[in-house]
Amino acid sequence: MSVPAPLLFLSGLRSLRGRSSFHTFHHLASPGPGPYFSPRLAPCLRVSASLFLFLLLTLLLAGCSHHTTQAAGKRLIVLGVDGMDPVFLEAHWSSLPNLNRLRTEGDFRRLGTTIPPQSPVAWSTVTTGMDPGGHGIYDFVHRNPATRLPMQSMTEITEATTSFSIGPYVIPLAGGGIRQTRAGRAFWQILAEHGIAANVVRMPANFPPAECEAESLAGMGTPDLTGTNGTFLFFTDDPSETRTTVPAGKIVAVKVPNGRAVLPIEGPANSLRKDHATTIVDLVVHPDPVNPAARFDLGDQQFVLKPGEWSDWLHADFHLIAFKGAAGIFRVYLQQVHPYLRVYVSPVNIDPENPALPISTPAGYSRGLSRELGLFYTQGIAEETAAYRAGLLSRAEFLEQSHKILADSLRMFHYQLQRFREGLLFYYFSSVDQNAHMLWAKHDDELLEIYKGVDTAIGEAMRAAGHGTTLLVMSDHGFARFDRSVHLNRFLMEEGFLTLDNPDNLGDDEAFVHVDWARTQAYALGLNGIYLNLDGRESGGIVSGFDKQTVLDAIAKKLLTFQDPVTGANVVDKVYFSETAFQGKNLKYAPDILVGFRRGYRASWQTALGAVPKLPLADNTDAWIGDHCMASDEVPGVLLSNRKINAAGPQLADITATILNEFGLPKAAGMIGQSVF
Amino acid sequence: MDLFNAAINSLLSLWVAAFSWAPPVLGLSLISGLVGIGMLWVFRKTSNQQGMKAIKRKVYAALLELRVFADEPSVTWRAQKSLFAANFRYMGLALRPALVMVAPVALLLIHMEAFYGRAPLPVGREAVVTMSTTGPLDADLKSPASVTVETPPVRVVDEHQISWRIRPVAAGTAQLQFMVAGHSVSKTIAAGAGQRFVPGRAVSGALSAIWDPDEKRIPSASVEWIDVRYPEAWIEVFGLHLNWLLWFLLISMVAALLLKKRFGVVM
Repeated sequence: MSVPAPLLFLSGLRSLRGRSSFHTFHHLASPGPGPYFSPRLAPCLRVSASLFLFLLLTLLLAGCSHHTTQAAGKRLIVLGVDGMDPVFLEAHWSSLPNLNRLRTEGDFRRLGTTIPPQSPVAWSTVTTGMDPGGHGIYDFVHRNPATRLPMQSMTEITEATTSFSIGPYVIPLAGGGIRQTRAGRAFWQILAEHGIAANVVRMPANFPPAECEAESLAGMGTPDLTGTNGTFLFFTDDPSETRTTVPAGKIVAVKVPNGRAVLPIEGPANSLRKDHATTIVDLVVHPDPVNPAARFDLGDQQFVLKPGEWSDWLHADFHLIAFKGAAGIFRVYLQQVHPYLRVYVSPVNIDPENPALPISTPAGYSRGLSRELGLFYTQGIAEETAAYRAGLLSRAEFLEQSHKILADSLRMFHYQLQRFREGLLFYYFSSVDQNAHMLWAKHDDELLEIYKGVDTAIGEAMRAAGHGTTLLVMSDHGFARFDRSVHLNRFLMEEGFLTLDNPDNLGDDEAFVHVDWARTQAYALGLNGIYLNLDGRESGGIVSGFDKQTVLDAIAKKLLTFQDPVTGANVVDKVYFSETAFQGKNLKYAPDILVGFRRGYRASWQTALGAVPKLPLADNTDAWIGDHCMASDEVPGVLLSNRKINAAGPQLADITATILNEFGLPKAAGMIGQSVF
Repeated sequence: MDLFNAAINSLLSLWVAAFSWAPPVLGLSLISGLVGIGMLWVFRKTSNQQGMKAIKRKVYAALLELRVFADEPSVTWRAQKSLFAANFRYMGLALRPALVMVAPVALLLIHMEAFYGRAPLPVGREAVVTMSTTGPLDADLKSPASVTVETPPVRVVDEHQISWRIRPVAAGTAQLQFMVAGHSVSKTIAAGAGQRFVPGRAVSGALSAIWDPDEKRIPSASVEWIDVRYPEAWIEVFGLHLNWLLWFLLISMVAALLLKKRFGVVM
């Protein structure tokens, strides 16, 4: 909190009274034995001294309080709309009245995105003002150089260093925990250090939330209670459903003897047990023998659903040890009762009322939000794309769940806007991105409904902003069709950079299980990255430092001439070398090459986790039909403001500099952007 | 039993109505204080006060021994035994007043639950109503205009129950009508906001009516009980949300402890 300079001056004088310097002045000014000053000079000296002090302190305080003075009463609203695409906007201005008014009354630009244009990378840049070379996040997944296996890019979990055992339990005493891996300081940490109020809601790649006094709620990257990005459960007694696992989900066969089925809801692995047994609560379902309805019992919670209905949030306490549990919340969707029971259970979210993992700053902030608004999704990516992709939810069901999330988000945004008084309000919307992945270019009308929902929020923000508050609406990237899957590891194999132990072992086996590392120069992991099998970095790497650039150049040349045999088009638009593409040098986890695909092409799901399928290219037959993990120039984001934007080609890193500049703060070390105004 | 329950509920209704202008915590605090005083009076009348005085003196003596002769194990040991025995005898003397008080206080608490422990269904919020039957799993539910029945009956075969999902659309008290084996039975439902009488489970058995005394017994042998799941009510005290029973115990005990000298009671 800032204190006006005159008050500080007065309090400074008061504090001086008890100090020797004041006594010295008093002694010098007092009549009596002092040989150098006449008594008549004393009042003049006192006044001069006071004036001198006043001027000195005023100058000092003016310098110290420059930022807070400039920031006093200042308001800035930044709305982050993940995946909002400029081309889609331009095609639908007439259906999006608030966005249209914002660009006509203010300004609109395409916003340059990061290399690679992936959300964790892009939002880390917005957070820190650094490029990936600064913040060190290059993908959803990084690879461990020692094992070449994928690992979470945004968080790191460490085991306790000291613990003791009692029977089946192990009690941690020291060490262990979860930490964010992103380097650099978040802009709201800098604002808070200067006493500027900030409320940052659902910022992606901010789990666990950056420590500071500002209010913040973690966004994309926040796991479910089991520690994954979201693992749903699907229960059925349908004998034709033979799968047991699908990406990000489990299908569990149940029996319904005597009109009763027990659905085991999985919680976190119990880290307080030696065997890390999975914790479970039982959800009991009683389908009516004839009627299309069922009753569900969970402890003392009870509800009745008809097919096609969602439950409210349910509380679950997963028992860990005496008097200690992990609190979770989840929702149930009854898809069908007859002839077969089909029940979808959402990933178990961290309970915001009693979070088992840190999801907000201050820690009680999520509890306060929950009390004001009711329970809400805390999982970073809550839209149920996985169950839709697995064919377990229809598009209509997926959209219904998506609209529930958007409604939740709009409700929280409305609340945040109402309590916003000064400083910064940042609010993130995930809905456009997640729905664009499933609807892009094929179901524009349905996607437009999501855009319209966000448009209402922007209208609300414009009204709240009025003329005195700067409003920025920005997205981290745009979108493009995802028609063809590129199996980069298969491409590398065809070009002689990767070798299998047996050429017949082509397939979807992940984690490079069949790769012969003694004869492999490069491998692909994640959605844009290629890594060299580098001697001294990778365990058993074969490419020497001397040959490094030669191999990189050779791969780049092959990538740039890589043609789709079906269309004849180039698959890759741009190739970036990490060592030269970034200003920052935090390259520990950087891929050596970042592949900028042409629109329509993207690394396959198999590539992301280290598989080597049979063909270098395949049609994308997945329900995930839109994407942005391509060349950065192909998928710019958007920037709109209620003020004129001076920057001709603004970039994501400019958003950070703009925010700090609005409050009169200079850029921090490593920040590369400029204010857009 | 119905008459007795109705009488208690009427008295409590009057009490709650008398304090309807104030937050529920006021009426609850007063009734808790009165119950504390009442228990004090009963304690004095039914306990052996002279015996209690004597035992307390022995307790003090034993405590003094423990303090003074801390370095003499044999004395300390004897004092510990004496303390233990005195405590046991004290509990024995307290048993009689406790036995006298337990039934009326328990009955009062059971009745108070409907006034302080349950909140009416918020208008627009769904709830589950369940009937437990001893006969065939076959019943119809007719709702008043203020309540919507949203699902067909769900027959829970293994528990011999039938459940419906309902949703109040207007505040107030209404009757849910069930047709079971040719008989019509009813269950009161309360919706809205604020403190009021919120009847819990309706039962058919006489013994069950002691524990669920809020409504007249169900006049059908084939229906064991009918229940509506209400949200829990909280007493707000200095910004804290407390269970009413906790506040009741606290206030009644504090009242008894503060007034025991005035009533000349040894406890």
